[in-house]
Amino acid sequence: MFRLILQRLLALAPLLFIVSVLTFSFTSLLPSDPVDLILGDTGTEEQHEMLRERMGLNEPIHVRYLQWLGRALQGDLGSSYFNSVSVMGAVMQRLPVTLSLTAVSAFIAIVVGVAAGVAAALHPRSWVDRFATLGATFGQAIPNFWFGLILVAIFAVSLRWFPATGFTPITESPWEWLRSVILPSIALGTSSSAAIARQVRSAMVGVLQQDYVRAARAQGLSARRVLFKHALTNAMIPVVAVLSFQITVLLGGALIVEQVFAINGLGTLAIAAVRQQDIPMLQGLVLVMVGLVIAVQLATDVIYGLLNPKARPT
Amino acid sequence: MNSMTRRLFVSLAACAAMGIGATIASAEPSGTFKYAEQVKLITMDPQQQSGSGVPYLRPVYESLFERGPDGKPVPLLATGYEIDGLNVKITLREGVKFSNGEAFNAEVAAANINRGVQLAIIEGLKTVESAEANDEYTFTIKLKEQDPAIIDSLTHTGGMMLAPEAMADPTIDRNPIGTGPYVHSKEESREGEVQVYTPNPTYWDPDKIGLERYEVWEIPDDTARLNALKTGQIDAGNWLANPQSAIIDSSPDLKLFRNTGGLNYHVIISDREGAQVPAFADMNVRQAMAHSIDRAAFGKAILFGLSEDSYQPYGKGHWAYNPDVEGAYAYDVEKAREYMAKSNFPDGFSFDMPSIPIYQSRLEALAGFFNEIGITMNIVPVEPGTLARRSRTTDFPATNLVWNTNTDPKFVALRYIYEDAAYNPFQTKPSEELLSLANAGLESVDTEVRSSVYQQMAEQLAKEKFLIFVANSPILIGVSNATDDNPTVVYRYGEDSINLRGLKANN
Repeated sequence: MFRLILQRLLALAPLLFIVSVLTFSFTSLLPSDPVDLILGDTGTEEQHEMLRERMGLNEPIHVRYLQWLGRALQGDLGSSYFNSVSVMGAVMQRLPVTLSLTAVSAFIAIVVGVAAGVAAALHPRSWVDRFATLGATFGQAIPNFWFGLILVAIFAVSLRWFPATGFTPITESPWEWLRSVILPSIALGTSSSAAIARQVRSAMVGVLQQDYVRAARAQGLSARRVLFKHALTNAMIPVVAVLSFQITVLLGGALIVEQVFAINGLGTLAIAAVRQQDIPMLQGLVLVMVGLVIAVQLATDVIYGLLNPKARPT
Repeated sequence: MNSMTRRLFVSLAACAAMGIGATIASAEPSGTFKYAEQVKLITMDPQQQSGSGVPYLRPVYESLFERGPDGKPVPLLATGYEIDGLNVKITLREGVKFSNGEAFNAEVAAANINRGVQLAIIEGLKTVESAEANDEYTFTIKLKEQDPAIIDSLTHTGGMMLAPEAMADPTIDRNPIGTGPYVHSKEESREGEVQVYTPNPTYWDPDKIGLERYEVWEIPDDTARLNALKTGQIDAGNWLANPQSAIIDSSPDLKLFRNTGGLNYHVIISDREGAQVPAFADMNVRQAMAHSIDRAAFGKAILFGLSEDSYQPYGKGHWAYNPDVEGAYAYDVEKAREYMAKSNFPDGFSFDMPSIPIYQSRLEALAGFFNEIGITMNIVPVEPGTLARRSRTTDFPATNLVWNTNTDPKFVALRYIYEDAAYNPFQTKPSEELLSLANAGLESVDTEVRSSVYQQMAEQLAKEKFLIFVANSPILIGVSNATDDNPTVVYRYGEDSINLRGLKANN
């Protein structure tokens, strides 16, 4: 297991390097630049030139990249083109927000998805199964931003049970934190819960027909013990792989849902950085997102190994 | 420029009489007022701010002058001014301190202006050569050229005064220090989410501090901002003409306030001598194009019924607005066809028009109108953020832009009329009439005199039709009913912000 973690960490460095080169190159190919935004409609060509010089944008792209890389290797991701806010500071401030949202969404997705999948598998072709299948189809079909708007209209604007916008840090008030993340997390997690439910149902139906499950029942083990100890544990092996993918989807989906709920997470920061072509901020964000995805994949491999001894790296 | 010489010394009492700053606040500040901005905070350095986002600055920074209810400049940190040729002598209010305790005096004011000139971002300071202190409370701004709008420029970011400590601080964009009624609370603010302001204990006019806390929320998503207003999470916020502002306008629980100013959408025929598109040199063609646009339908479909038809650079309520120009080229497709038939291009022609995503629907509507008279407008997408820059080149024979009607009318000439104007890329010589009016507008600082000149200019522009005005959408501020009922809420003329001097929390 230690070797696996080490391998992944060693693979991280070249991956981050490639990603940083690509981000820098692609953003620099865009015809507009931050100077357009700073000077607005009224800037003259002289002003553009002066500001570009001041911001170092007249340097060749490889020089700018190497300057950035030199600082990044020393742990300094620089600061935004537009203000003195450090990239690392901005990212670290928003990371807990997006992680909160992703974690609660993943929790909802797992609880709802596994429960619905198991219920459907235990009663195949029953109304429970049909209801779960219909729900899963609905969950996967609806766009999360639209569902978010519907949730806001009902539970925030009409019923006033939850805030319509904003995020409260858990350190400030755990209760308000929960209230602030519950609607966006439901909006975000619904689609993943549907995917997980389908996977769990399919895996469980297969597992419940296995000989060892029949043998366990024949030995007189309780239905609960057969279900949770023997069937579900094995059925979860393929589900973990889906879960890894779904968590990365949740991270991506959070970028959109954050807009709907005016939550100040990595998504909001990313959209602003893209609009402003704030390359240092974009670089920092992309690197952090790549790191998160790799961390999720690593965690998946570890859990996979714990569930399935055959899959453990030697 | 001797005719520009004018003295203006206005006392505090006179200022109050003009209704600036609303009513007197209670002795003890109390309550919170929450405002939502549609643009993210970029910088709190007013001299590096070129666009929107002024509501983030107003709590902390005061300008030398501010606009009165009629849009004319009245003193704030200044007490008066005197213009003599290219010298603008400004007298300052005594006894004012920055929130960090530093004194506000002529030396600091001059340093502020010089910094703004050096940074070269603020359009209104482009005519300024330098500034220097005369004595403790008077300083002189030296101009490069005549500029009757210089005092108006000092009502906005160009006239906002920063403390010396802030000017020397490389992190000024997040550590503002001004003389305003509130100070920025970095500890309580959350980057990218909300900026929090608390009372300035050293404020020179403490009776005007009515709030215990003022918050500006960054909510760029229009629907999220609307939901925040509906649920009482914010008291007010600004909007563009979009479906969400139309919802506010029709909601019984909310109010949409239309402030003077806003954005004027217009078509610019850059190639007016026909170098690339010969038809553009034909006045009959321009007449036809102007008459072919159904502005009412355009306003209803594209701007959700929140705009006014436009035939000139400024809208109703502005001193440069000319009521006689209203309907100058009203929609009349038969008349437009007649003009086309009389032109040298009766079978029509085609041209390219640059577009960015947010203008796509506007241009599709215009293309439909032009198509009715045989003109094919090809919509050419350009990268967002590059429309203004591309419009200043000869890449396109025509373009479309919005004009911020908060800007002094002299900029109409500077942008569109003069041979070297920014948006005259083909460097067409203006007509004698327009040139003389553009120059006359610079001859006097008297708004009454200038008003007459620019109203004539609006008339002349309507005749020449190389600027075809389409729609004027006012500044839209959505508020709750409680905010609407709050008598201390005074909207700043020509701005998307509320005057904080005297503002109290809603009941």
